[in-house]
Amino acid sequence: MEFFFQQLINGLSLGALYALIAVGYTVVYGIVQLINFAHGEIFMVGAFGAFATWVLLGSPTTWSLAAALFVLLPAMILGGVVVSVAVALLTERLAYRPLRTAPRLAPLISAIGVSVFLQEFIRLFFGYIPGMPDSKRAIPFPSVEGISGASFQIGQVTVQMPAVFTIVALVVCTLFLWFYVNRTKTGRAMIATSQDPDTARLMGINVDRVIMAAFAVGAALAAVAGVAHGLRYGNIDFRMGFLSGLKAFTAAVLGGIGNINGAVVGGLVLGVVESLATSFIPGQFGSTAWKDVWAFALLILVLVFRPQGLLGAKVVDRA
Amino acid sequence: MMTIGSESRQRFELPARIVGGVAAVVAAASVLLSWSYDPAALDDMSFWGAPSPLQFHYLALGALAAILYLLPIALRPRNGSWTNWVAWNTAARFASFTLLGFPVIAVIAIALEAGGLINVDPGAWLALGAGVVATLAGVLLPTSPEPAMHRIKTHPVIQILAIAAGMGALLFAAVFALGLQDAGAFLLYAGFAAGLVLTLLRLGVFGWLAVCAAANKRVLVLAAFFVAFAFPFTQNGSEANMSIATQVLIFGATALGLNIVVGLVGLLDLGYIAFLGAGAFTSAVLSGSAFATINWTPPFWLTVLISGTVASLLGLLIGSPTLRVSGDYLAIVTLAFGEIFRITMNNLDGSDGPNVTNGSDGIPGIPDLNFFGFDFGATHVIFGVTIGRFANYFWLMLLILALIIVVFTNLNRSRIGRGWVAIREDELAAEAMGVNTFALKLLAFATGAFLAGVAGAVKAHHDVSVTPDQYVFLESAFLLAAVVLGGMGTVMGVLIGATILKLLPEKLRFFSDYRLLLFGLLLVFMMRFRPEGIIADERRQLEFHATDEELAEEVEEELVTYHAHYNPDPKGQK
Repeated sequence: MEFFFQQLINGLSLGALYALIAVGYTVVYGIVQLINFAHGEIFMVGAFGAFATWVLLGSPTTWSLAAALFVLLPAMILGGVVVSVAVALLTERLAYRPLRTAPRLAPLISAIGVSVFLQEFIRLFFGYIPGMPDSKRAIPFPSVEGISGASFQIGQVTVQMPAVFTIVALVVCTLFLWFYVNRTKTGRAMIATSQDPDTARLMGINVDRVIMAAFAVGAALAAVAGVAHGLRYGNIDFRMGFLSGLKAFTAAVLGGIGNINGAVVGGLVLGVVESLATSFIPGQFGSTAWKDVWAFALLILVLVFRPQGLLGAKVVDRA
Repeated sequence: MMTIGSESRQRFELPARIVGGVAAVVAAASVLLSWSYDPAALDDMSFWGAPSPLQFHYLALGALAAILYLLPIALRPRNGSWTNWVAWNTAARFASFTLLGFPVIAVIAIALEAGGLINVDPGAWLALGAGVVATLAGVLLPTSPEPAMHRIKTHPVIQILAIAAGMGALLFAAVFALGLQDAGAFLLYAGFAAGLVLTLLRLGVFGWLAVCAAANKRVLVLAAFFVAFAFPFTQNGSEANMSIATQVLIFGATALGLNIVVGLVGLLDLGYIAFLGAGAFTSAVLSGSAFATINWTPPFWLTVLISGTVASLLGLLIGSPTLRVSGDYLAIVTLAFGEIFRITMNNLDGSDGPNVTNGSDGIPGIPDLNFFGFDFGATHVIFGVTIGRFANYFWLMLLILALIIVVFTNLNRSRIGRGWVAIREDELAAEAMGVNTFALKLLAFATGAFLAGVAGAVKAHHDVSVTPDQYVFLESAFLLAAVVLGGMGTVMGVLIGATILKLLPEKLRFFSDYRLLLFGLLLVFMMRFRPEGIIADERRQLEFHATDEELAEEVEEELVTYHAHYNPDPKGQK
């Protein structure tokens, strides 16, 4: 039973990471019906942005607990968010906006191009920024006092602090997002645009601005996830966006794409399923080598049998 | 640039012609001088009075430009005569641009390769100056009307000779380009070829060639295959280029398979490399390699069929969600399948699953093919030319590619192909018209996968080893890029796209680190500026330019003549 709870905690924290990224897919999809294939790279860029902020602060390693938690960590998150949002807005402006009226294949292929480009750009050029290490291999992510490597026990169950950070970050971000979407003018414009872009435009909503806001919100959450990923695994590399992005997309679909709550639920479910599958599927197929296979199999099954997702109120049927 | 009214352009015409013509002649003559002090730069342009091969190309270009500038003075183009159907001025302008661009690239390359502009000799500066003057003259010329060379009536024998000459030029260009070892020289040649093609395009030569080709389709196809067949004889036993050429053919064959799914049916498949992998792994496991996990080695023709069948079964499996999933969702489903395939191949290593593929080590030591007693690993001498191992595989792949092209074009023109296009245009409407959409989509997946599986079976033997990391998502993206770059739904375009994507990285190794970066940019720019690809399928082009009325009329006219050609009897249509 302890083992089960241990895996459950692991799964929930992993799922929280997926959920943070998944929100970006779902918000953008809800408004422009585009699978932003490069969103995984936005997440990766956010992690690198946070790392760069740490270097700019003088690579601190010996700050006190309070300074680390209340200055360093927020600064890193902020740095990551700024970089992610900037990159996301640039790609939207340069790669997606010109294709808004093109056939559906075009923006998706363009997004694949952006994804490859961003990965390679970080791999090749991050090291040229003064003070930054060579990024062709994984870079050790800075450890934050009180989170990195720390853990506590509840009975027999060990809870890692990075996991706590991820879950707290998800809760905070979800609350922020709920407020933003339901209580601000831009947020309500987003809802209106996702329901009917043409009418929204007629009502005086600047659809371009709303779309930019959607990209920005998704990118900001992805950057938070980037920091969480760095703290959790201890290093970051230019390839980390592909698999995490794909998993997060799975989570978004699982919850019902276009539905923000769905993305959160989908992420948590996917994390738990992945974590439990590796420990409770017997025999050779239960080893960790197969966990991605189970996640993708879940994606395919959901897409085939319940394309509207777990919480999907919205029936998606598009060719 | 200042704008010049059409009246003053008329006034400038004769002086511009003379100045441009003289500049072109000077540019051509500049190859008699040394261009580079350092013989190591480019292809040794350091001789006085003895041009290098690339300089000879420049000489020819200068001569062409001079003709384009000066000949109209003598001919005095009149309405209704062929002299007026040729777009002299526009072509002269583009030839001048190339005359300028060529020395610019050459000067940069010499400076980079030999260390400084000091190594650039007078010849290159003279060519550069002449190029500037010619370009100015070209800009001053009045723009020609649209070329109409397709209206020129030509004797069939001349048409066939033209096709033969064109194919010969193509073979010569390919052999010459592959023979250039220096990256700067290759870029220079690529610039030259692009400039020449643009010039001839503006002149209207391609319009005329298209008429010749349409009138002699069989000759054209035979000539193309003859040229490809003759290619190994030009390499004189050199294996490096033959290996590249074979890889291009394998890649092209796989891309054609993908083209059925993406180009004809319009279903985006992001995991297509899995089919190539399935074919390769099946063939490897049955190859009799010391590491193969099945101790049964069927003859190769059977292995090919089994590989294709395994791949197409996988295709059916991957295609089955199309019953319920479409659009972007299908793309993601196929991507997930592709990843599952790769991870599974990685895991079937005996510790995480049954041992089938040796895990990440893959299956090395695959023996060469032995086809009815013909050993593909052996070297032969035919007509005094050494034909090596890769040339054998090249011919085999050529044969398979020919079969694939036949299958592709015939399917495309059949009832099935029209059903596919109908699904691509509007699935609901197609279904309402009685098209069995699900069966046709499955058929597309299975056929495409079969072709890829066959290519994979050859690839396993050609590469000697098969490992899971050859079949990552990025390779699927490359295949997709070949289809998109070349032109979705076309045979020629996809083959060109595959050639560009395989050949350029091999020849430009100095930027191999930037290969993927440029690849990503290429995808974005293609989608932005020419989503229909280099060679556009007319109907496709229309989809991407839905508001272009002029294009719509043009395409309609062409489709009508096309159908009139293939279905001369309207009652024959059902």
